[in-house]
Amino acid sequence: MSRVVGIDLGTTYSLVAYLDQKTGKPKCIPGPYGETLCPSVVSLDPDGSIIVGEPARRRLLTQPDRTIYSVKRLMGRGVADVQDELKVFPFRIDPASKTVIRVQLGHRVFTPPEISSFILRELRNWAEAHFKEPVSRAVITVPAYFNDSQRQATKDAGRLAGLEVLRLVNEPTAAALAYGLHEQQRGRVSVYDFGGGTFDISILKLISTAEGDIYQVLSTNGDTHLGGDDIDLMMQRVVRDEIRYAYQFDITTDPSAVQKLRKELISVKHKLSTADRVPFRFPLPSGKLYHRDFVRSEFESWIRPIIDRTMVPVKQALSDAQLQRSDIEAVVLVGGSTRIPLVRRTVEEFFGRRAHAELDPDEVVALGAAVQANILGSGVKHMLLLDVTPLSLGIETYGGAVAKIITRNSTIPASAQELYTTGVDNQTGIDIHVLQGERELAKDCRSLARFSLKIPPGPAGLARVEVKFLIDANGILQVAARDTRSGELRTIEVQPSYGIADADIERMLEESIEHAEEDFAERQVIEARTESEAILNATAKSLAHEAASGLSAEERRKIEASQTELRAAAQGTDYKLIRSRIGDLNQATMLLAEMIMNSALSTALEGKRVAEV
Amino acid sequence: MSAPSTSESSAAPCRNCNAPTNGAHFCASCGKIQPLSPGTDYFAFFGLPRKLLLDTTLLEQRFHQLSWKLHPDNFVNATESERELSLDRSSQLNDAYRTLRELLRRVEYLLGIEGMRNEGASKQQAPPELLDEVFALNESLDELREANARGGNTSAIRARLAEAHINFEKKRSEIDEQLRALCAQWDQALDGDADRAARMKLMTQMNELLNRRSYIRNLVAGVQKELVEA
Repeated sequence: MSRVVGIDLGTTYSLVAYLDQKTGKPKCIPGPYGETLCPSVVSLDPDGSIIVGEPARRRLLTQPDRTIYSVKRLMGRGVADVQDELKVFPFRIDPASKTVIRVQLGHRVFTPPEISSFILRELRNWAEAHFKEPVSRAVITVPAYFNDSQRQATKDAGRLAGLEVLRLVNEPTAAALAYGLHEQQRGRVSVYDFGGGTFDISILKLISTAEGDIYQVLSTNGDTHLGGDDIDLMMQRVVRDEIRYAYQFDITTDPSAVQKLRKELISVKHKLSTADRVPFRFPLPSGKLYHRDFVRSEFESWIRPIIDRTMVPVKQALSDAQLQRSDIEAVVLVGGSTRIPLVRRTVEEFFGRRAHAELDPDEVVALGAAVQANILGSGVKHMLLLDVTPLSLGIETYGGAVAKIITRNSTIPASAQELYTTGVDNQTGIDIHVLQGERELAKDCRSLARFSLKIPPGPAGLARVEVKFLIDANGILQVAARDTRSGELRTIEVQPSYGIADADIERMLEESIEHAEEDFAERQVIEARTESEAILNATAKSLAHEAASGLSAEERRKIEASQTELRAAAQGTDYKLIRSRIGDLNQATMLLAEMIMNSALSTALEGKRVAEV
Repeated sequence: MSAPSTSESSAAPCRNCNAPTNGAHFCASCGKIQPLSPGTDYFAFFGLPRKLLLDTTLLEQRFHQLSWKLHPDNFVNATESERELSLDRSSQLNDAYRTLRELLRRVEYLLGIEGMRNEGASKQQAPPELLDEVFALNESLDELREANARGGNTSAIRARLAEAHINFEKKRSEIDEQLRALCAQWDQALDGDADRAARMKLMTQMNELLNRRSYIRNLVAGVQKELVEA
């Protein structure tokens, strides 16, 4: 079985990790720049190629209209949902988008799952370069408070990146897994996860049993649109208004200057976590210089309302778990925004105890995902996650009301059966509208899907159709219907309200999978050729070395034969053959290499007295 | 761990090796996960008799043991049909645990599978012995709304409402006690192999208590809402 990696697909950064079999510990995989954090930024090059990560982030300044960040905010959402985001984020939505959002990069349009799939593909490349073998299976993390459409969109992104998504794991649960392993913590634990774009709170019970440790989530709550992004926006607003007032200049008219300001203010935000005062100078396009000092106390008074917003879900989660804050035995901080001292102070004051932040808050979710990936990949199970659904599932009833059939914080998988019958003679269908949310009216809940049960004509009340609603271990809804009189299963065409239709996914997949396989093979061929060139050059140099004169004619012939075979293989595209020929040549030159080493050693030792050696 | 065979006489033989399964989660002979037999109730799922005052610590332990075995994590590399069976069984496990771990839901569930749950008009109609008090309460609520509309002093009415609130809460806990007593009688009746008529009588009483309780709960929630909104 192939290796399974854990991926944290974040709003600001994404990471990929695996479980190191030697140490038994999870580890993040670095990218080509040695960094484990891949900025979740995607850019479309004018030549049509996709650029991801750090190079794409640099293009935010130079090519803002071809580059996108924080795309996670758009995952699984409809055009109507994101109107507020559009006011503050430079998303360019294709005006032709109806329910499904399409984003413009240059002259092309992409869905948010497609853009996310570019990030996943990049991480997959990192992993493949690290293991030197294809990676096709992954565990991907999602905010615990993600609804069905957002989860489905994440899963779609995985498929589009050529990954089989074995499981979606909730981010705070993944963090708890990493901490549980690290700290040997047991009892009731609260995970406060404040990231770039989302906020989650989860309350777990960590239990030791004979079979291993169980991580049972008691309750979860959150806000999928509350994060460090909001703090950045608040700082940008302050500066924008000051510039407008003092210089009569509207910076929003210059997208590149907006990005530059955003970037520098983020850096100020980071510095304010350790410094009390940060001087700030920003040259305006007009040539004038805007400057001010940022003081931590003032910064804290600005962000306090944002942090207070996180405490509402915290209190709700506690009450849903039927616990008092004093019942919590450990508090864990996750997500980059928990580096802000005021965040930490607020959480610690609320729970009345010091919070754990020993593991890197940026890496901990990916590390936890790697642990779960290893469990699913290896089948060796020493811990078990029992997670919950964050939102209640309901169906629309008469008058637009909602009947809840699975309540929030139910352990998943969870199911509910409903029996339907016809109300009038010869009725041929029953319409069902599935919703997610806590509100009492359908119009205030999230529409997940609509479908129609087909009924053969007959007298009213004769038909008996049982519909089974099931939320799987990923938190994604599945629906099945059965005629209880005939026992016959009925297929249902579920039309997702916001997702991408299956047919479209299939089409995108066909395009991308073909490419993915080509991509991998192509990269492998290029790498193998580069390597063979390097070894051929080195061999030629070695043969020219004076020490090579000591080689027997037989040895020399062997090396030359290997060289010829490698050159021939490197002409072709079979990277496995090239690698095998590289191995042969390495083998053939071993004696030569040793001779050269010895001669180098004796040269170095020449002129030195024996006593010095 | 296997479910008892009492309510599982219709269980099909193992799909894989054809050995009899008696409705167990796994085939005793080949170890393969089995489909749920139609009509498996939550008590049977846990291998428990239909008793009401069960040991919740023990129930949690069984829940954990079964979770280890049935969870989809165990079937990632299994066949598609086994993955579906795991999804079915583990969702049933979670639904069963959620229902059985709380006394009220447990009683309601038992009455449901015994065909004895009848909600009647309980949500709208006050039980006769509460009529006077409910009447007084509704009057106070009307007064409060009027006083609020006039912008008058509401403290006296509020105090009266708060008192009524406490009174109804007390009645609710009395009902809970009565329900517990009935549950104990039910368990004894099961142990003593009491006849159907005796059991029906107990269930009818439990059904009535549940209805009164839900009426009072709605009433209390209504008062709370008015007090908060006003």
